[in-house]
Amino acid sequence: MPAPAAAYERIVYRNPSEHHYMKVHLEFQDHGIGLNAAQFKQLLISALKDLFGEVDAALPLDILTYEEKTLSAILRICSSGLVKLWSSLTLLGSYKGKKCAFRVIQVSPFLLALSGNSRELVLN
Amino acid sequence: MPAGKGRGEPNPGRTCVGKTMAMLCRLREVPRHLLVCEKSNFGHEKSRHRHLVETHYHNYRVSFLIPECGILAKELKDLVMDSGPYYFVKDLPLHELIAHEFINTFVKKGACYALTYNTNIDEDNTVALLPNVVSIDLMDLSSKLDSKKYKRISWAFKEKKPLKFDFLLAWHQTGAEGSTMMSYFSNYRIQERQPKIALSTVTDLPCPVLRSGELRGEPEAACSAQELFEWLGAVFSNAELNNEPDNFISTYCCPQPSTVVARAYLCTITGFILPEKIRLLLEQLCRYFDEPKLAPWVTLSVQGFADSPVSWRENEHGFRKGGEHLYNFVVFSNRDYWLQLAVGANDDCPP
Repeated sequence: MPAPAAAYERIVYRNPSEHHYMKVHLEFQDHGIGLNAAQFKQLLISALKDLFGEVDAALPLDILTYEEKTLSAILRICSSGLVKLWSSLTLLGSYKGKKCAFRVIQVSPFLLALSGNSRELVLN
Repeated sequence: MPAGKGRGEPNPGRTCVGKTMAMLCRLREVPRHLLVCEKSNFGHEKSRHRHLVETHYHNYRVSFLIPECGILAKELKDLVMDSGPYYFVKDLPLHELIAHEFINTFVKKGACYALTYNTNIDEDNTVALLPNVVSIDLMDLSSKLDSKKYKRISWAFKEKKPLKFDFLLAWHQTGAEGSTMMSYFSNYRIQERQPKIALSTVTDLPCPVLRSGELRGEPEAACSAQELFEWLGAVFSNAELNNEPDNFISTYCCPQPSTVVARAYLCTITGFILPEKIRLLLEQLCRYFDEPKLAPWVTLSVQGFADSPVSWRENEHGFRKGGEHLYNFVVFSNRDYWLQLAVGANDDCPP
């Protein structure tokens, strides 16, 4: 016997996301510097450690996607660590003596929102 | 801490600690966001699915995912290929959108949508045209062209400060055949554009197990709507879904319980997509299960323009750290559906 049709139900979640997601891009002043995924993650950890210390360097942080060619990544951080991670990225100025900067392209509590960016629609 | 302080006197040490604690708390805060999860059935008389699709006006990205599917059916593919066109007009004076002829040609003969291009709503002036205009009711104005109100508005747009913007335009025609956007705006730089379409298949995709009657999931039996929502983001971002818990790079994995499907079909359409086209896609995806299918469900997700001034209907939309306003349908084989609506800090709760 087929199951009955689902009854209507609505749930409103306020601040449900345990994680926030950041689409970032690492830019070097000089070209030709490469990092693999592990080196990229280590860079993020050391940025957190420099600003906030050992404890916050151990914040749960995942690199969901990484493109070595463009040094672009989608990061997942626990929501309580977003401000610390973002400020660490902002203040990071060099890697192995080479000047660099993180560009934060998109931030959202919803990962699905990062699969498209209307500000990147180019028509001109 | 100074000794001998009497009761009631301010204690600088405690004040400092209090301020430090407040600062530490703020470091852990994030902007408010809302996720609405609904379940219903397309056969229910009061189902709101059509209304919610049709009142989300400015759509940038539409994606669907069909598990256990390697080739897209012709009807669905035809709809995907027919998801345009939209139009891009450069330096269009704002008063053109309240012109009598524009209203008669487009606004009264269908649903007309416009949004300024390349304006950031948190920094720049932004203009949007909705099919049911709010602050300036074009339908009302068009019947009172000699009114003081119309003259004042027209003067403001033309004389006081001639405002020009680059616009995205789209029109769903319901009236008799008449002028086209291209011919109407031929004095301006107008281009007809087709949405970008990306089609792909993925193999060996871990998919969450879902029960249509259990929005919150069921321990060890079914995943929740929230877990499904995150998983969908991971799929469309091409994230790895099978990481081990001790993986240094990422520990993300598909929520459990899950099954692995041999292949799944993904489609993404980007541009300025009409709500009417999205409704047709949703209806076609509902018809997917008219014949028996291996897939237990399919999904359709829609993302709005980050810089649209509205989300659903005339609900104000803003950009705090992100301008997200998006929704996702999960269509089950028995015509049950889930609907998730997500907004960020500067938005009201979705309807």
